[in-house]
Amino acid sequence: METIPVNSSAFRHSRALPSARALTLGLAVTLFVLFCVIPVVYMFVVSLTNAAGSFTLDNYQPLLTDPRQRALMVTTIELGAGAAIFATVLGAPLGLLFARASLPAKRFLRLALVAPLVVPPYIMALAWVLLTGPVGLFARAAGRDFLSDWTYSLTGAIVVLGVTFYPLSMLATEAAARRVDARLEESALLAASPGRVLWRITLPLIGPTVAAAGLIVFVLALSEFGVPALLRVRVFTTEAFTAFAAFYDFGAGVALCAPFLVVALVVSLTIKFVIGERLLVTPRSIRLGLPLTFSRPLRAMILIGIAAVVFASTLLPVSALLIETTGINRIASAASTSGEAIANSLWLAFTGATLIVALAVVLGYGRTRARNRLRTFFDPAFILLFAVPSTVVGIGIIGLWNRDGVMGQVYSSQWIIVVTYIARFVPVAALMLAASVRQISISSEHAAEVAGASWTRTFASIVLPQLRTGIVAAWVVSFIFCFGELGATILVAPPGESTLPVRVYTLIANTPSSEVASLALMQVGITLIPLILLTVFLPKKVTRKPA
Amino acid sequence: MSGAFLRLVDVTKRFDERFVIERVSLELREGQAMALLGPSGCGKTTLLRLIAGLETPDDGEIWIAAKKVAAKGRNTVAPRGRNIGFVFQDLALWPHLTVAGNLDFVLQSQRWERRTRRDRVDEVLRMVHMAPHADKYPSQLSGGEQQRVAIARALVARSQLLLLDEPLSNLDSDLKSALLEELSFLQRRLNLTTLYITHDKLEAATFADTVVKMKNGRIDESNLTLMQGVR
Repeated sequence: METIPVNSSAFRHSRALPSARALTLGLAVTLFVLFCVIPVVYMFVVSLTNAAGSFTLDNYQPLLTDPRQRALMVTTIELGAGAAIFATVLGAPLGLLFARASLPAKRFLRLALVAPLVVPPYIMALAWVLLTGPVGLFARAAGRDFLSDWTYSLTGAIVVLGVTFYPLSMLATEAAARRVDARLEESALLAASPGRVLWRITLPLIGPTVAAAGLIVFVLALSEFGVPALLRVRVFTTEAFTAFAAFYDFGAGVALCAPFLVVALVVSLTIKFVIGERLLVTPRSIRLGLPLTFSRPLRAMILIGIAAVVFASTLLPVSALLIETTGINRIASAASTSGEAIANSLWLAFTGATLIVALAVVLGYGRTRARNRLRTFFDPAFILLFAVPSTVVGIGIIGLWNRDGVMGQVYSSQWIIVVTYIARFVPVAALMLAASVRQISISSEHAAEVAGASWTRTFASIVLPQLRTGIVAAWVVSFIFCFGELGATILVAPPGESTLPVRVYTLIANTPSSEVASLALMQVGITLIPLILLTVFLPKKVTRKPA
Repeated sequence: MSGAFLRLVDVTKRFDERFVIERVSLELREGQAMALLGPSGCGKTTLLRLIAGLETPDDGEIWIAAKKVAAKGRNTVAPRGRNIGFVFQDLALWPHLTVAGNLDFVLQSQRWERRTRRDRVDEVLRMVHMAPHADKYPSQLSGGEQQRVAIARALVARSQLLLLDEPLSNLDSDLKSALLEELSFLQRRLNLTTLYITHDKLEAATFADTVVKMKNGRIDESNLTLMQGVR
């Protein structure tokens, strides 16, 4: 006779009271909506109402009628498309090489190539200004300024953003190339040359993922504030910041970003459509069907090319910062004068990352295990919210939290920065953790359930232990993002409560470059430490097994 | 030298110092259908991959149509030069190409002319009753239909050696019997030298003239007096 354990979900679902699972997921979704969704929705509502509270499209009218706004739109699209193309052209071949070619010191090279992704983009822009600006290292070495026109231009911003984001394209391509079923290539190799198999079989199979990564870079470049602001390129995010910071015009600030948000929505839906569940699942094929092999001279050229990319994307900017600091004493002095900002950044990023992961782990679990169709909308929502420009999030948080009572108390304290971090980075952490949950067999949860464990116990004792690598990775990524956050923090930080990025950004205009470079270098150093630890402790690659 | 179409001489393959194939010798004459029977992990698939050139033997020789294709620890002829048709266990149909596209890719890679290619693709698709599905993608086909496409792809370039790696393992028994019969018919009609891997004794006996058993990477000596197929 079939019996049903008293703790089984089938039994619990028949009760009137909601289960612990439903309560936990419901609480997580509520917090997600409160912290991440409402600020953005609130800003849209504000942008669609006038002072009397009636519906109006006045804020949006200039978008259609003002030629300057159209020019802004063109520049913004050019910046996003340029950065996406640059990042893909540089990153995709590297990803293919790392997936398929035998390279020396692969782990170290990958770490060196990924480093630009964790350096805050505005630091990268600052480093390039110190290198190629009017009084930069190159100008001083040559005795004349010959590069600053290029630096402070759309092209300069495209290059800086392309260099910052190419690791995304590289990692996505590598993951896609690794998960191609080896037999698809092997069956082609029975008839065709390796080059033809690469062109006709491998590349079309990984193409959608490469394109999706390009679209993500496009959206991230569009939502970036620090780089265009530093390099004096007028795009929607910088204009939204000006509209708010200079004129305190909430509605205009958001309206300026509205076209971009439509683009972000289309892109996030396209990504979901194009790569579907592969957004979460990246199993590695145990065997490589088409390893890339090169003649000795070609291999040497490839290694020189990789070294050149590492040099240009990481070593050169970091060297510029190092040279500009003018010595260890300057770094020590900058650390003492900005000690409070550094300490603030560290504890706020630590607290932010911890809270983000706590919320994201439940959301990621819900995204993967939800039994209804709602989960289909999670991924586009996560991508869209992550793509919302930092300035819009900042403006939304100010509008929502700047009021009397408990919210006002939070707003006037450093906790508003933690709220901002949560609003910005929970979506990306939830996507990462959803991917980790997906790797856990549902059978392990069913086995615990059949054994009589409650959902809470199953989650705590079965799911979370299996997620520990994913949780650590999500925490490190969240910490890095929080530690480098500038666009929203600069708007919401209470007076006198600066973080390191805000301090660096505000010092750039009127402080000796040696102090700014010292602080930027500290930012890079602190950011790279968790990345290195993560790389060292990541699981080693799958070993080859006989067929 | 014997008149064998496929000949393996003391072929050995190790993975991480573990013998997966150990001194295997086999001969198949032209048009012969041999089934290789054995439990999972006994090295059947690795043996097929060695013959196809997808793995390199550590020792021994492999001859196809009187041509040495592997010897002294290296492949002397690349997989595409061996003129082999291969049906993988999971079929390995290219998901981004249509049914006709899957077949055409093989012919195009072997530099067939466009008109000849089209005719040949039509002919083979008719042969496996898949002509009406030529423009569909693999994901739009049922399991049995996908199986037929995989077989058609293996046959399209007029390969004389057909390697089948448990091609029917994922089908229900009715469909399996029907396809097995068709496959057997095609094999005889086209006089294909065929090596068929399976762990199902009945399937092996139905399809093959000769059944050879493998165990722990070796031909099972106790069964070397080969079972005769029932067909």
